[in-house]
Amino acid sequence: MLGFLSPTSTPKGSTHRAPGLWAWIVLSPLLIWLLLFVVAPTLVLTAVSFAERDSLGRIVWNFSVQNYARAFDWVWVKILLDSLYYAFLTTLICLALGYPAAFFIGKAPERWRGFLLLLVMVPFLTSFLIRTYAWINILSKEGFLNSLLISAGVFNEPVAVLYSPFAIVLGLVYNFLPFMILPIYTSVEKLDNGLVEAAHDLGAGPLRAFSQVILPLTRPGIVAGSMLVFVPSIAMFAITTLMGGGTNPTIGEVIFKQFTAGRNQPFGAALGTILLFVFILALWLARTQRERED
Amino acid sequence: MALGLWTAGILAFLYLPIALLVVFSFNSSRLNIQWEGFSMQWYAALFSNKVLITAFQNSLLVASVTTVLSTILGTLGAWMLHRYRFPFQSALGLLIFVPIVMPEVLMGVSLLVLFVQFLSIPLGFTTLVIAHTTFCFPFVLVGVQARLQGLDPSLEEAAMDLGATPFQAFWKVILPFLMPAIVAGAMMSFTLSLDEYIVSVFTSGSQSQTLPLKVYGMAKVGLNPQLNALSAIFIAATFAFAMSAHFLGRKR
Amino acid sequence: MKKINRLLLTLFALGLAVSATAAPTKHLNIYCWSEYIPQPIVDQFSKETGVKVTVENYASNEEMLSKLAAGGGEYDIIQPSEYVIEALVKEKVLHSLDRSKIPNLKNIDPQFLNQAFDPGNKFSVPFMAGTVGIIVNTDLIKDDIRGYADVFKPENKGKIVVLDDAREIVTWALLANGLNINQITDKSLNKIKPTLEQWLPLVKVYDSDSPKTALLNGDVAIGVVWGGEGAILTNKNKKFRWVIPSEGTHLFIDSLAIPKTAKNVENAEAFMNFILRPEISKQISDEFPYLNPNLAARELMSKKQLENPASFPVEEELKKMSLFKDIGTKGSDVEELITTLKAQ
Repeated sequence: MLGFLSPTSTPKGSTHRAPGLWAWIVLSPLLIWLLLFVVAPTLVLTAVSFAERDSLGRIVWNFSVQNYARAFDWVWVKILLDSLYYAFLTTLICLALGYPAAFFIGKAPERWRGFLLLLVMVPFLTSFLIRTYAWINILSKEGFLNSLLISAGVFNEPVAVLYSPFAIVLGLVYNFLPFMILPIYTSVEKLDNGLVEAAHDLGAGPLRAFSQVILPLTRPGIVAGSMLVFVPSIAMFAITTLMGGGTNPTIGEVIFKQFTAGRNQPFGAALGTILLFVFILALWLARTQRERED
Repeated sequence: MALGLWTAGILAFLYLPIALLVVFSFNSSRLNIQWEGFSMQWYAALFSNKVLITAFQNSLLVASVTTVLSTILGTLGAWMLHRYRFPFQSALGLLIFVPIVMPEVLMGVSLLVLFVQFLSIPLGFTTLVIAHTTFCFPFVLVGVQARLQGLDPSLEEAAMDLGATPFQAFWKVILPFLMPAIVAGAMMSFTLSLDEYIVSVFTSGSQSQTLPLKVYGMAKVGLNPQLNALSAIFIAATFAFAMSAHFLGRKR
Repeated sequence: MKKINRLLLTLFALGLAVSATAAPTKHLNIYCWSEYIPQPIVDQFSKETGVKVTVENYASNEEMLSKLAAGGGEYDIIQPSEYVIEALVKEKVLHSLDRSKIPNLKNIDPQFLNQAFDPGNKFSVPFMAGTVGIIVNTDLIKDDIRGYADVFKPENKGKIVVLDDAREIVTWALLANGLNINQITDKSLNKIKPTLEQWLPLVKVYDSDSPKTALLNGDVAIGVVWGGEGAILTNKNKKFRWVIPSEGTHLFIDSLAIPKTAKNVENAEAFMNFILRPEISKQISDEFPYLNPNLAARELMSKKQLENPASFPVEEELKKMSLFKDIGTKGSDVEELITTLKAQ
């Protein structure tokens, strides 16, 4: 499972050349960007996590490991696990909902594909807050869904859908679904129809054709989509607070609050550094496992 | 057929809140919560609200530049990492995910410190675009990487055999092949940048206030229905544009 | 490739043009809460004085502090709450005001002047004040609600909305235990922990931005919220009743101040004086129903506005309220306590 979902650095069947001067020049914008705006801020962050702060929240450069000592409390571990659980659930549901839709769009007549993709993206040109308040309106006790269900006679009493784990997952799935659909679409789009037909000709039923031919060929899209949903939803907290009622703290929220109201940037940075470390370690392990399998 | 129905269902799910949002743009109540009556007042008010309109223009500008930069960085990066074997290749592959997993507040504050105290770039349009590009380009890169996997290496070799330089081979053969993934990545970057709040808080200056920065505190007094009106107009305009492009393209 | 380069250059030039348009002689950069200073007021100030005003917004005191601490923007006016003014005064980062430039300060109710956070108002001018209280949907809750103890009762489980603000929640628990709200020590936090352990599991929604949403939608029936929210709800529907907790509550004063790094001090002082004009201050109250400390402005306001109990508490209620003091590094422990209890 882990191996299947791990991104590979060495795609099979491609020829790898040693980079010449030109290759380095073309790669340099990415390298410079990563060094300057990813590596450098991460180092700043790590440095801050070993510092102290004054009463106004400004960093005082005294070396200290107390932030880490505090960060390994069970509470923070539990919150991190909760966040990972929600991200995982979101990814699974997005995959289940998104794969068929991405498949349909990828196999639609060519002139419709761009239009259908746009149709998927347009809702996200609106502001996150009004989108979310619209959901709150739909799911609330006196909202659209409840009045519909009551007038249809399904329920007598309004049901509390909002401010529950269900609402959190719904909100996360809604906002991350396009990030699953788009990468899978690009994998489906290049799928050779001939291969699928060949599988049929060889007597494979639809299920076997899917699991033996289509699924492996669209695997890169599934992996990319899953990463683009799972990774950003770990630290996402605006949805959990707005639609979940804020009763289940998530790692992103805790770090945000320690940074702002808590005026404790070093502690927030320590939690963030641990999150980054855990994440990179997991990714690296998954990748080496997959390389061994191959 | 079943797939078509499924997709229609997904689209219905995606558009449900959008429909409500458009309906509420015609609501006479200031509070965006209960329906009270039909009114066009928010559209009228929107057109004279230069703060909101300026903020929206800033958002569009930042999102456009971010999308262009992210697409270039992401596409070239993915291609080079696919085509060549660089030292520390797998470390680079892991590093790409750091901006996506990093909680927004950490990225915002650490970039703020970097800009102000180390690089002395005044906060404004430039810093905002740099910050947005940093968390957007990995989306393009990861998407393009997925498309590249299983690419037939003979494609490029055939082009080179026909006398194309590596650059020409990339431009004429590889780039068209990658186009769907590039377009998908560009779309993701655009929407991500358009809606970013927390990173923007820390990296924007007073001349580069984007829409989310103006909108975020509004919930206190009720989200202004002018926002619904703005969204409705923007959606309608996007559709009009897409439709005309679609049907014009069809005639040809 | 060339095309793309040219596009990029144009876009960057456009970006420069956007920042270059703002270069007339007189400037004022305001850094304030979002939805607090109505735009027409800013426009009127520009028109009268010819000063080009830019407004940048924040959604919490701490956002503003982190940006200020990093030396981010160049702000001429900031709008911190009382305990933040206290911290900024202590750190000597505020400009000492020239009171002769702000004669309209005389309009402010003396009750809101000369407070411990800024004795003699050397550095700050009150903008708006407000309080935290209980809002009850009397259709759904029939009991007589007087204080926090009546809100956090087992029978209200799943019907409560509270501010998503750790310091506020801790303050209510301190008051319910008869403790001083500004004595935040390990000892006092330990003392109120059992109270919080009872209270927090009863809460359905934590929301600081718009607790009124859950109340209006009927998802909850009772809440401990900002006075501004309470005023909107009581204006909206008679079923909502506003109660000042019998145990006492927090009074906040949001003020205007000038950071030492400001480049346009004179314009900033002119703006402060402008805001304190009765008719301007009334305009703000018309838009946002907070407790207006400007007595001259109150004379212009309608009876309905002045009689809203969530905006204007009576004298006797005001006496039960106290201001926050800056708790410095203790804020982190307060956050941790509430997070821990929520996560259980």
